[in-house]
Amino acid sequence: MRVELTPVTPWRHELGHCLHTTAGVLLAHRGLDPGIVLGAAWGFHYPGDLRREEYYLPGHADDLFAGLAPYHGLHSRWHTPAGPDEGWQEVRAELCAGRPVAVAADNFHLPFRPAHRDVHTNHLMVVHGFDDEAGEVYVTDPVPPAHQGPLSLAALTAARDSGNPVRHDRDMFFTANPIGNRWLSWEARGPQPPFTPEFVAEAMARNVRDLTDPADPRTSGLPGLRAFLDGAWERLDSAPEVVDEVFIVAGPVLATTGLHGDFLDRAGRESGDARLRELARQVAGVAHHWAALRIAVATARADRAAALPALRRRSGRLVESYEQVLAALGRHLSGVSPTAHVSGLPRISRRQTDDLPAEVTQ
Amino acid sequence: MISTVVDISEVCDNRGITKSGAEESDGFNIWRNTFPAEDLPAPGSSVEVTGVAFEFPARATGRGDNIRCRGQLLPLPGVRADWLYLLGAAERRTEDEVELHYADGAVRTAWLRMSDFWPETAAWFGEPEAFRGSGLRYPRHTQDGHRPAIWQQRVPVTVPGELTALRLPENPAMHVFALTAVLEPGVRDAS
Repeated sequence: MRVELTPVTPWRHELGHCLHTTAGVLLAHRGLDPGIVLGAAWGFHYPGDLRREEYYLPGHADDLFAGLAPYHGLHSRWHTPAGPDEGWQEVRAELCAGRPVAVAADNFHLPFRPAHRDVHTNHLMVVHGFDDEAGEVYVTDPVPPAHQGPLSLAALTAARDSGNPVRHDRDMFFTANPIGNRWLSWEARGPQPPFTPEFVAEAMARNVRDLTDPADPRTSGLPGLRAFLDGAWERLDSAPEVVDEVFIVAGPVLATTGLHGDFLDRAGRESGDARLRELARQVAGVAHHWAALRIAVATARADRAAALPALRRRSGRLVESYEQVLAALGRHLSGVSPTAHVSGLPRISRRQTDDLPAEVTQ
Repeated sequence: MISTVVDISEVCDNRGITKSGAEESDGFNIWRNTFPAEDLPAPGSSVEVTGVAFEFPARATGRGDNIRCRGQLLPLPGVRADWLYLLGAAERRTEDEVELHYADGAVRTAWLRMSDFWPETAAWFGEPEAFRGSGLRYPRHTQDGHRPAIWQQRVPVTVPGELTALRLPENPAMHVFALTAVLEPGVRDAS
């Protein structure tokens, strides 16, 4: 038997990683727009549930899609088969039912990944078909180097059943966490909201509220972010694992921030709201602080005490950038933002001779 | 156009360009990926990128071929410039402030914006592409076709005057491979 689901289109946001790419591929297959669905929510929530997975999403490890798309009613569930045979039969059944499947996999066993036979890690990708006779599956993995095509079932099985061990010092961050043949199913509960200015405004208002006045300020919103970073730097000198913790948490928050910036930019472009596009650029600026912090902490491992002052300074600038954007978003929602729409005729002067033949301009 | 090519080799502290079989400890990024040396000019070469002359890669000193930005102060003695051009690449796109130091003691802030070196990733800040590798080097192999980029940035020197130094950002996600100051006589001469 052979099944190849179509269309399954690679999708990627350049600040995202395998969770966002995989979700984007699955959403697009069901006709949803990944940029809108994954970009609407912007917040911070870290209750300390760290997992060494490339697809870890703080606070939502068990229902990843609810964390990715809370305004679209999405939910997901991990399936944990007893072993590789059961794991494949479950994925195969999903494919036969017309549903591409997100599977966890150790890149060490995947020939198209640069980590093949080199580095262990806990990755996520889409399986969108199989050919029993050829002993192959079809996979979509838009994380560079992007790959869409066949993979031997034996390789997939090894990747899914891997113990994901630590073998050398480049097995960082996402190792020592057995893959366990896990796969993910998801659903959209209820109708999908249209991408209207009203929806965008509602999403912005909810984001601002959840960031400034979260239900649990110890773990969420801007107070939760401050507490997380302050706590991390307090422990950093005596607890080397803080390096991994901050790096792993920073990855998805960076991705989400970048996605939300693009969400606002698109909303501004489609509605002609120039101010919204300016706010989008400010959100991107927050992402750029996260990019700096993420590498600053990752390179702090060798001398954590020496790195501490710079990490604190960057954290301060990061939080300040959030505060500035949230204040600007609040003003926009209150209608006291600068003029949203470009008005009047363009005031661009040109030398009238520019386009005339030479003999006329003499 | 008057170009002042700056020798940054003494400040380089990161090795981002390696030959096959290089030390496993070398690494542009935290995963110890590097640009293949055979795709790039020899150290200390004079190259031109979109009309601007650079020394790239930096002269070999044994310490590295690029600066991982941690707030280093680069001397620019007696340089007058309208623009500071750089060759650089970041680990994920990022932006940060640099400080321009003037001979009269003034310090003025400008922005440096740097796109991601990672393959299959466009220049988010719109920089021209300076170099692109044929593959990406890993400590134990080279991934052919997985092509990293180095971009060309520029920083405006908004206020004319004699510069003495450039303070790089305290942002280790940014890497600077080359620096050239450019003056455009007659275009914006307020002196």
